Amino acid sequence: MFQGTCGATVIQFRPVFFVIGILLSTLAVVMVPPALADAAVGNPDWIVFATSAGLTLFIGVSLIIGNWAPRFTIDVREAFVLTTLAWLVAAGAGALPIAFSGLHLSFTDAYFEAMSGITTTGSTVIVGLDSAPPGILLWRALLQMLGGIGFIVLGVAVLPFLKVGGMQLFRMEFSDKSEKVLPRVAQIAGGIAAIYVALIALDATLLWIEGMRGFDAVCHAMTTLATGGFSTFDASIGHFHSLSIETTTTVFMLLGGMPFVLYLEFLRGKTRRLLRDSQVRGFLGLYVATVAALVLWQWLGGGESFPQALRETSFQVASIMTTTGFVTVDYQTWGGFAAVVVLYITAVGACTGATAGGIKVYRLEVLYATAKAQIRRIIQPHGLFEPHYAGKPIPEAVASSVMGFFFLFALTFAALSLGLGATGLDFLTSISGVATAMGNVGPGLGAVIGPAGNFASLPDAAKWLLTLGMLLGRLELYTVLVLLWPEFWRG
Amino acid sequence: MIGLRPVVFLVGLLLSALAIVMLIPALVDLRAGFSHDASVFAVSSGFTLFIAVSAVLAARAGEIEIDVRQSFVLAALGWTAAAAFGALPLAFSDLGLGPADAFFQAMAGVTTTAATVITGLDGAPPGIVLWGALLQWFGGLGAITIAIALLPAFHVGGMQIFRVNSAGGGRRALPRVAQILTGVGLIYVAFTAVCATLLWVAGMTGFEAVVHAMTTISTGGFSTSDQSIAHFRSVPVEIIVILFMILGSLPFLLCLQALRGSPRRLFRDQQVLWFLGILAATVVMMTYWRWHHGGAPPWQALRAAAFNVVSIITGTGFTTADYGTWGGVAIAAFLFLMVVGGCAGSASSGIKIFRFLVIYEAADAQIKRLIQPSGLFVAKFNERPIPDAVASAVMGFFFLFAASFALLALGLGAMGLDLLTCLSGAASAIANVGPGLGSVIGPSGSYATLPDGAKWLLSLGMLAGRLDLYTVLVLFVPAFWRG
Repeated sequence: MFQGTCGATVIQFRPVFFVIGILLSTLAVVMVPPALADAAVGNPDWIVFATSAGLTLFIGVSLIIGNWAPRFTIDVREAFVLTTLAWLVAAGAGALPIAFSGLHLSFTDAYFEAMSGITTTGSTVIVGLDSAPPGILLWRALLQMLGGIGFIVLGVAVLPFLKVGGMQLFRMEFSDKSEKVLPRVAQIAGGIAAIYVALIALDATLLWIEGMRGFDAVCHAMTTLATGGFSTFDASIGHFHSLSIETTTTVFMLLGGMPFVLYLEFLRGKTRRLLRDSQVRGFLGLYVATVAALVLWQWLGGGESFPQALRETSFQVASIMTTTGFVTVDYQTWGGFAAVVVLYITAVGACTGATAGGIKVYRLEVLYATAKAQIRRIIQPHGLFEPHYAGKPIPEAVASSVMGFFFLFALTFAALSLGLGATGLDFLTSISGVATAMGNVGPGLGAVIGPAGNFASLPDAAKWLLTLGMLLGRLELYTVLVLLWPEFWRG
Repeated sequence: MIGLRPVVFLVGLLLSALAIVMLIPALVDLRAGFSHDASVFAVSSGFTLFIAVSAVLAARAGEIEIDVRQSFVLAALGWTAAAAFGALPLAFSDLGLGPADAFFQAMAGVTTTAATVITGLDGAPPGIVLWGALLQWFGGLGAITIAIALLPAFHVGGMQIFRVNSAGGGRRALPRVAQILTGVGLIYVAFTAVCATLLWVAGMTGFEAVVHAMTTISTGGFSTSDQSIAHFRSVPVEIIVILFMILGSLPFLLCLQALRGSPRRLFRDQQVLWFLGILAATVVMMTYWRWHHGGAPPWQALRAAAFNVVSIITGTGFTTADYGTWGGVAIAAFLFLMVVGGCAGSASSGIKIFRFLVIYEAADAQIKRLIQPSGLFVAKFNERPIPDAVASAVMGFFFLFAASFALLALGLGAMGLDLLTCLSGAASAIANVGPGLGSVIGPSGSYATLPDGAKWLLSLGMLAGRLDLYTVLVLFVPAFWRG
């Protein structure tokens, strides 16, 4: 798939544009269901969707035809450009119907909303979802669904080959004689997509049985599995006041936060792999520990009843850790300890190879193993201590690129929150806004963008910074940052 | 098993020195007419001396040799014992501090943190004020000593790139290190004397000048007034303090070489250049922010920004303004700046500039490797390639710093503090800065109102931060105590 030809001269844009053309055409097709949904209820927005679809399709097909070639290869640098460009362009096309719909959003707002959708973040600038036309609601959910599957495929098929932030740990073991790689990757991606759709269908059915309207059930199922978090109501899942809906959503959010490749293997009979995976164990362990700590805090310190505390925290922690961002309760009233915990799990995120964002659990496991090995080496300078991940020694290159990722994450976090502060936002909004954008979570902390708030009132500059944060977080930083290095563009 | 005899012996020697130093505040109090406090210092000194001499006699042995693990125990125990016995006069003085308060205050002293639980410094007896300054001064000297002699030798957090080249190694190494330490100690004393003289010329009383000189060069930050340096309302004083805070954050080894006639190494050192560059850039940006968005006149903006930014980055903790009111970007900036710290091999604490340099170089090499997978890219520090072990130790340190910070903030949250107090308190303690952010522990606040549990946690954070984390964290690994 990726010919590691070094010393390649100029970046070939033809194959990049060709793939972008395919992406745009797909988006155009996906714009049809919202158009139909609006047409069915007689909302004039269907014209907007139909026109946007036509325009997007036109550009997409032109790109395909203009850059057609019988055979082409994509090397490492083109893959970087393609990935970043794909997310930027998809957000641009996704913003079209939002900008021209009856909601009258500015271009900044529409682009923010579309980026939030395609990166499965779930931060929104739209107020009054409850009365919004069905087309726009469906479109937001579809964007997240596409963004989710796009990200899984990226995490399984592209990032490991680009060796981004230690992702080479997840390179699939097939004979590296590249001829067979592409069909094999395509096969796996197809299997994962099928599982993804099946899980969405299952979730939608369950939600429908539990009392949601069919439309709401489909929208929520899509944004749940995508760990996106767009809802069809301003009050998010809290709107339904239903324990069964919350439980179902919790389970499917957690499913969306775990590696989809393992589900594929699970169905193929390798059932033990899923529960033995070190990342899955770490993730579920961290989830249980966090819920336990917060339940205790709320129950003993906050004076809530035990069942109530369990219900609220198990949902809310799952929502934030899997970077979904659904809300059932304003957790800001839980006090300083809860705020610190929420801030951390916002940044940590869930597993790689899933739809979730954030630093990801495997990176923490690698960092922990490395730090432990270092401490032991200090105690016994002549001993041989190798850090292990999932029972195998961690290659030096992986450890250092994970640590590099962690450092870049901290640095980007600091830079973006300073930027947000400079647009005049207060401290809590700045740091929690950046954390939630880079972790692709959704809600922040504070009076403005907290769980009960909305991003609409932020200045435009802040929205652009957050859009950048969402993109950086989604594409694991390196994929975007390499483009800023002059060496990248030189021959 | 670790043989603790030599450790106890050396800690005994340390405490004897501490007991003798305690007599200075006793004399000062006696002269100033605070006879009760003078007797508290005298009694504390006697008690400390008794314990110390007992320890020395009990653990005496013919020849002392300490290995790696004993050195770690010695460093952690040395600092803790100094804080515990240094807390004695504070606990029994007229201030009426509880055990948690007194230990916190003493730990803040020996770790050169400017966190204080004492309010009403302006009227406090001179002995107490001087004692805080002495603790910081010796704490700073101790920090430089371990940064030059201990951490590089034991590969702590990437410090091995600062190993003193002792040609021949082995037997010759110790005298050479001792010689260097003597030189560095003399410079430290000389800088303090020069700083005190300049401050006195600039208008401080002799006592104030000595106290501030000691807490400036050690990047400690205790003051003689609740208002810190703002009390003096003097531009010359602020400039002198800025200069000596910077001097206290430069690598003392290079200062030694500069004074011995090769100043070029000091001004060509990548770490020093980056440090000065970061200071200048931050001051310029903060001045601009204060001037354009805070509405302060440019000259005042520069004055306030220069002093407080230098104070926070070097981990000193003096204040001349309540920067908590400077708006969102300033609060975020000060929170991040707290952890930066000065250069390695100085009295300053925090992550330290050389680590940022090493990580930046490593990340740069990594990104270039992503672009050209088969290219050869080498990260360099001071024009020499950074060994892989150093790069990964530095990155490991960065992660441990973040993890310790996260845990400490979480613990503070569990004590019921608000988010900003948790985050800034944890950062300020681990980086040995002092003042935090927010209404409680901000530049115009104090740590007095925090619950006792939070004070113990912060004391642990200050200790871990001062000893570059690893030195303390290894003690919590079971393997350390085995075999």
